[in-house]
Amino acid sequence: MNPAIRQTVALARRSINSTFRFPQAWFPSLFFPLVLMAIFTASFGRSAASIPGFPHVDGFLSFAVTGAIVQGVLISAVGAGAFFAGDIEGGFFDRLASSPASRSAILVSRLCASVLLAAGQATFFLLIALVFGATVQGGVVGALIVIVLAALLAIPIGGLGVLLALRTGSAEAVQGMFPLFFALMFFSSTFFPRETMTGWFKIVADINPISHLVEGMRVQVIHGVDWQAAGTSLAIILVLAVLTVGGSAINLRRRLEGDS
Amino acid sequence: MSASTFSRTVSVSGMLAWRALILVRRMPAVFIPSLVMPLFILVATSGAFHGISAMPIGTSSYLAFTLPFATIMGAGFAGINAGMTLARDIEGGFVDRLISSPAPRMSLVAGPFAAAAMRSLFTTTVVLLAAWIGQLPPPGLLGTIGIYVMAASFAMATACWSMGVALRARTVQAAPMMQLVVFILVFTSVAYAPRDLQTGWLRTVSDWNPVTRILEFSRTAEFQTMTWAGLWAAIASIAVLMAVFGSFALYGLSRLGND
Repeated sequence: MNPAIRQTVALARRSINSTFRFPQAWFPSLFFPLVLMAIFTASFGRSAASIPGFPHVDGFLSFAVTGAIVQGVLISAVGAGAFFAGDIEGGFFDRLASSPASRSAILVSRLCASVLLAAGQATFFLLIALVFGATVQGGVVGALIVIVLAALLAIPIGGLGVLLALRTGSAEAVQGMFPLFFALMFFSSTFFPRETMTGWFKIVADINPISHLVEGMRVQVIHGVDWQAAGTSLAIILVLAVLTVGGSAINLRRRLEGDS
Repeated sequence: MSASTFSRTVSVSGMLAWRALILVRRMPAVFIPSLVMPLFILVATSGAFHGISAMPIGTSSYLAFTLPFATIMGAGFAGINAGMTLARDIEGGFVDRLISSPAPRMSLVAGPFAAAAMRSLFTTTVVLLAAWIGQLPPPGLLGTIGIYVMAASFAMATACWSMGVALRARTVQAAPMMQLVVFILVFTSVAYAPRDLQTGWLRTVSDWNPVTRILEFSRTAEFQTMTWAGLWAAIASIAVLMAVFGSFALYGLSRLGND
């Protein structure tokens, strides 16, 4: 096996192991989305169907599950960035940099671990929703599209976390961006459809890429397989990934050259 | 407790409360989230769930429905701040110095307790002003008093909980535990929808959750439809929270310095 690939696999495995070793790293990304999904479903489940503009759904849980998935991916990807910053703070990054390890492996391994964790997380959320009565209109293909998109979403978010970690070298600073993501989610259609919003809030939700990203995933669950919507979500993820991973790569090079 | 001990407790508590309030200016990073979050809740929740206003929620505006949720969350954050301040003081050795001084031990919790109530007045004012800017009609004098009293009471109850955690964990790292219980208490009440619209487990939980009555009374205060029954239910709920969380804090205080 190519040494760079071997190093990437080893570092990705280390990232995954370290995530599971610390409950504070994975627990919030499962607990908070599930609790909010349960609360919103029990709060709005009865009334949602009769709200003008609300899409026809089998149940509010089917509507809510993709929002929970995106929320979970955001929390865990921010956590991954914080762990990377922890490696910088703790000196592991410097030891890695002074070893003959591949430079790209440092970045790629962290993103690979985020992708795998996000895929597992999305699968878990879908299974929980199915157990509690949600239906996936897109069937197995629709569920797979949701899982793949969720996994790929971990790349731009994880990339942004790594970018901030490289620039600040502080886990606290990376964790500090979570409220920003949380705000972005609320000012989008993550939790409720844009069709029911009005005024300036709707304008913000309309231009918020997270709205289109979530909707591309949600339609697979509530209506059925829709390749065009999935393509829109994928395009948003790719654009964000180019920006954040590109920025991370530039900052990684600068840090390795001792420029930052 | 003798009269002189009581007056010394009040005096030292007052100074500690003042110190906690001054910390707001010295360490704005600690206080700003507790101010921003209620405003965020007010704007984001009312905007995202605007569609719910088409349902029978007692008002045609989800912003109006959300207002008490935001004031109560602001109060909750004020209470959490009290616990975080105490935890920081324990870590920094300030509490040790205070224990070894003749200052009454009770003032350690009474000071931050009073400061939490005062902070909640500030966050409630900011939320009410934001709602007014958002073209929500003011709730009238009695209604406004009702909203302030509910917020201050909840701030004192959550301050007891947070200080109880701080006295046991003795580190500010325990802040997530302080926040988690406050969040769960508020979110599993009638924060997002009235009980009539809730289904399943949430309906059962919110029926038993003391925060439900506090929020419901805040809403009736806002809509100027207060009833004596609602007021008594809210007072009873506050009493339950104070009894449970107050005992938790006082027991932690009694064990402080024993090990």
